[in-house]
Amino acid sequence: METVYYIIMIPMVYVAFAVFFVGTGVRLVKIFREPKNPTDLQIFPEKRPGWLLAVGDTFLLPTVRRHKPVLWVFLMLFHISFLLLIIGHLELIADFRIIQIIPHEVFLGNGFIGLVLSIALLYFLFRRLLSPVRELSVPEDYYLLILLFLTVIFGSQMDWARAWYGYGEMAVDEYRGYLSSLVYLRPELSEEITLPGHSFMLVLHIFFANLFLIFFPFSKIMHSFFSMAMNKLRRG
Amino acid sequence: MDQKTRDDLLKLFQSKLNQAMRFYLETCSRCGVCVEACHVYASMGQVKNISAYRHEIVRRIYKKYFKSRGKLWPSLGEAKELSEMALEELYEAAYTCTGCRRCMVYCPHGIDTQMIMSIAKLLLVGAESEPEILTMLADTSIEKGKSLDLFKENFLTGIKKLEAEVVKKWKMDAGETAIPVDVKGADLLYVALAGAHSIIPAAAIFNAARENWTLSFFEAVNFGAFVGDPTRTKLIMDRIINEAKRLGVKEVCVCECGTAYRVLKQMKEKQPFSVSSITEVHARYLREGRIKLDKSKTKSPVTYHDPCQIARNAGVIDEPRYILQHLTDDFRDMTPDIRYNWCCGGGGGLVALGDETLDFRMKSAKVKVDQVNETGAKILATACENCHTQLSNLNDHYQMGVDVRFLSSMIADALIQ
Repeated sequence: METVYYIIMIPMVYVAFAVFFVGTGVRLVKIFREPKNPTDLQIFPEKRPGWLLAVGDTFLLPTVRRHKPVLWVFLMLFHISFLLLIIGHLELIADFRIIQIIPHEVFLGNGFIGLVLSIALLYFLFRRLLSPVRELSVPEDYYLLILLFLTVIFGSQMDWARAWYGYGEMAVDEYRGYLSSLVYLRPELSEEITLPGHSFMLVLHIFFANLFLIFFPFSKIMHSFFSMAMNKLRRG
Repeated sequence: MDQKTRDDLLKLFQSKLNQAMRFYLETCSRCGVCVEACHVYASMGQVKNISAYRHEIVRRIYKKYFKSRGKLWPSLGEAKELSEMALEELYEAAYTCTGCRRCMVYCPHGIDTQMIMSIAKLLLVGAESEPEILTMLADTSIEKGKSLDLFKENFLTGIKKLEAEVVKKWKMDAGETAIPVDVKGADLLYVALAGAHSIIPAAAIFNAARENWTLSFFEAVNFGAFVGDPTRTKLIMDRIINEAKRLGVKEVCVCECGTAYRVLKQMKEKQPFSVSSITEVHARYLREGRIKLDKSKTKSPVTYHDPCQIARNAGVIDEPRYILQHLTDDFRDMTPDIRYNWCCGGGGGLVALGDETLDFRMKSAKVKVDQVNETGAKILATACENCHTQLSNLNDHYQMGVDVRFLSSMIADALIQ
């Protein structure tokens, strides 16, 4: 079991990040080097400045708000929570003063960010099971949601235990020890990380997160990089 | 389908893969926000007419042949082999889409279904499975461009016969030509459609505005664009570009034809002339006081159908409304706003396919009929040949009781001498 823990928590993490960064980088370079479309793809009426409105379209999803307001609420909650989780994870590596401009406890959100994210993912999943979105969906759509849900639920469970039930065996310092050792390329798995009762939660969380990172560059989640450029095409 | 045919078709597919197309093929999250966007789905309620469903048909082939994961794990994205059956699906997806791009307004990423359908159309051309009539019409246009001398005399004789009709709408001084053709040094080249209705009112208005104009030998409509063949589209367009250069005109004015206008307007190569739609030119004449209109000549109330390729897709939105202010005191705009205007249901070559598509066109445009009826208008004006034909068909089929009119024709009838 120790070997499995080791493989998932050290080599697989490096592989996952390498695939994520190289894969995403290569795909971005390739697509942005493709020739531009020979004609305009704008729609009218035109509003200016186009680039600013494209930024608004990308981050505020006004078309979704207008046509599917419930979905919009969940999408906004999902994306904001996802961003906050990334910040939360950065703080599990080291103390960033810039993030602490608004002083808060690490891990951010007292467990509620993970809860919101889990509920949003369940909403997306069940919404997809209903017609007509069911007929539009392909297996990738379900796999991604399930993978994210598993990642989030195991990660959040550790957070909830600490924040809500006073579970104190694995705290910020232990995570920082492990994650910063990975960042500084001196990977170390202390017993404080591998022995407590919640270690298997951490291993599963990291395992699913690794799979997600490996899948990312080859999936529709690349919309996180493409959407702005596409909205700019529409705005002209 | 044999391997050679498949390879040839995949080369055609590859030729369409530029940056924007890759974005559109890679990004759809199948979120379903576009569900209600398509007039066909809104009218008929079949899932196969949802925009995302349509482009997934093309995307599955893309995943199979242009994505490594389509080879490693095809079931993940339901990657699909290019086969005879796939061609049938492509046909249905492409020729039930009018290319109105209303779905682009809904999509959070702005995916252009018309662009994706252009792959389907090109593959059908490559497999010789496209609607034959569209290719034949495109080839006839191209042939006309190659051998102008063969039909020149007949064309000029035909045009001469129309001049009396033009003079009835706008009196000319002795010695003036009602329909000038092949005039070197003219300011404006008018590209009409093959039909008196596209020439007579336009000529009367040009003459009323004292425009230094000339009529093109060629018809504006681009069947190459309808059938989704970039080579034919360019050859048809080049006839007009070459004529405009030969005559040295400053402006090419495209008649009431949405596709022709958009194709010419959006060409990237810089030309020594500008491209305008006839609606823009008429609005300009009114603004400059070069023509004056008598409102009493127009029955009211009036509504206006924005042709998708002219309005949502090319930006001619204020001009028709400005013209209508001079034609009537009771103009009733359709709701909601222009971005959400329903397509008439006749674009993308469907009207050109005639009776073959009539039943589908009538069923799929029910929402357009409702949108027009809500205005309570008696006159339904528009500025596109396809839209006019389709709206007239809808008017008959649903007994809407409106008078479907070309905007240019309404202007010509209201000219104050």
